[in-house]
Amino acid sequence: MDASQFHFIIIDDSFFDCRIAEKVIQNVGNPASVKVFQNAEDAIRYIEQIEDYNDGKKVVLFVDIQMPLMDGFGFVQEFESLPAPIKDHYAFYFVTSSINENDIRRSVNFPSVRRFLNKPLTVAVVKELLTTV
Amino acid sequence: MSGKIKVLYIDDEVNNLHSFRAAFRHDYQVYTANSSEEATVQLNANPEIAVIISDQRMPNMTGVEFFEEIRASHPAPVRMLITGYTDVEAVIDAINRGQIFRYIKKPWSEIDIKSAIEEGYSYYLTSSLLTEKNKELQKAYNELDKFAYSVTHDLRSPILSVLGAINIAKQTDDVAEIKEMVGLMEKAMQKLDDFIHNIHDYYNMRRGELEIRDVNFDNLAAQLKDMFELVGKTNNVEFVINKDVQSAFRSDETSLLIILNNLLSNAFKYQKKNIAHKFVHVDIKVNDNKAVITVADNGIGIHENYLDHIFDMFYRATSEEFGSGFGLYNVKDALSRLNGDIKVTSKKDEGTSFTVTIQGK
Repeated sequence: MDASQFHFIIIDDSFFDCRIAEKVIQNVGNPASVKVFQNAEDAIRYIEQIEDYNDGKKVVLFVDIQMPLMDGFGFVQEFESLPAPIKDHYAFYFVTSSINENDIRRSVNFPSVRRFLNKPLTVAVVKELLTTV
Repeated sequence: MSGKIKVLYIDDEVNNLHSFRAAFRHDYQVYTANSSEEATVQLNANPEIAVIISDQRMPNMTGVEFFEEIRASHPAPVRMLITGYTDVEAVIDAINRGQIFRYIKKPWSEIDIKSAIEEGYSYYLTSSLLTEKNKELQKAYNELDKFAYSVTHDLRSPILSVLGAINIAKQTDDVAEIKEMVGLMEKAMQKLDDFIHNIHDYYNMRRGELEIRDVNFDNLAAQLKDMFELVGKTNNVEFVINKDVQSAFRSDETSLLIILNNLLSNAFKYQKKNIAHKFVHVDIKVNDNKAVITVADNGIGIHENYLDHIFDMFYRATSEEFGSGFGLYNVKDALSRLNGDIKVTSKKDEGTSFTVTIQGK
């Protein structure tokens, strides 16, 4: 299964990790689109202004937790206040280097968050995950 | 704690208050109150009162009851009771419950009271010192928690970036792609190295002794030039250091270098990408053993909402460029050890100016 049935949004303050995630997604094959944000606020503004989800493809969100200014938790709170029909277009994953148990526990408290993925993202992990989206 | 020991004496008989004051006003700073209400007012107005001496028999409230009442709101002062033999049961009970440091028999002699005050005061000093130390420990401990959390993240994240890049490189034969990944690995390792340098600075300042001597500003400026001239040239940023040194200045050169190094590396890092005339200006003025140093740039600036937090440990006001959130914390920490002060003015998209003021030793 390739990535052609999905759009991707990567939110991570680290330029490297954005680039790596982008590469991984491209190596999975043919993503419908990949958008990268190093700032979570820009990402939420971007999501808010999207009007057209007509192609029926899901948007996979990869969100880092530890970021300056708005962090992953701040982002997920804003995301959860979006109308349900909008949220249904998304599959939300935290991607983090954190090994802090509090972070892990906190992240599963948000209904939108499907899973907590450890960095680095790999082709195998993304492929496996796309079969369940 | 300066000057005379501050003592509060409570008695409903005004004559007793007068004679107490007359006997001890040379040795101690004496406050008096003729009721428990008045005593509470005095305690609130004079938080440095170290010893409270109260008569046991008063109309509205006994001395023991009064001590019981103020124990929670004013835990620091040492409490002593003055009483005749008839109240012994109540007194023993109060002492056993830990409310009273000592009781003094009526009629009291000056020597009894003095020795009680001296002993009480040394107990007061020890316990306030302990309270103070406990607070410091608690603060250090909270900081350590935060430190461990952030250090784990900041040490792991470049490592995981490199592992990610290795993964991608392993799966491709395309040399250009492999080279891009090697480039990422290099940057991630530089970031890790920067972070380790920051931690090193942090602990150096925490543990190291200050070396106070005449600061050689020519030397300092030359070191800064060495460190930043190349970055300036590469990124086309004008770098000027102005010195106006009118007197000797005694301080710790290493701390000064850490402060300026951090301010300058931020000034060069947070430049706008596409403007014609970029600058970083350092202005050093020394007069009367006092240094005022300004580091100004016309870079990306800091949003006013974040200005209050920029000196907090691990706080970052931008996701542009790599940063650990450590630099300005180190600056503030170094300044607090030098009894210095820092002010910032900044406007988003226009630039930032930090002014450091340090009084020489």
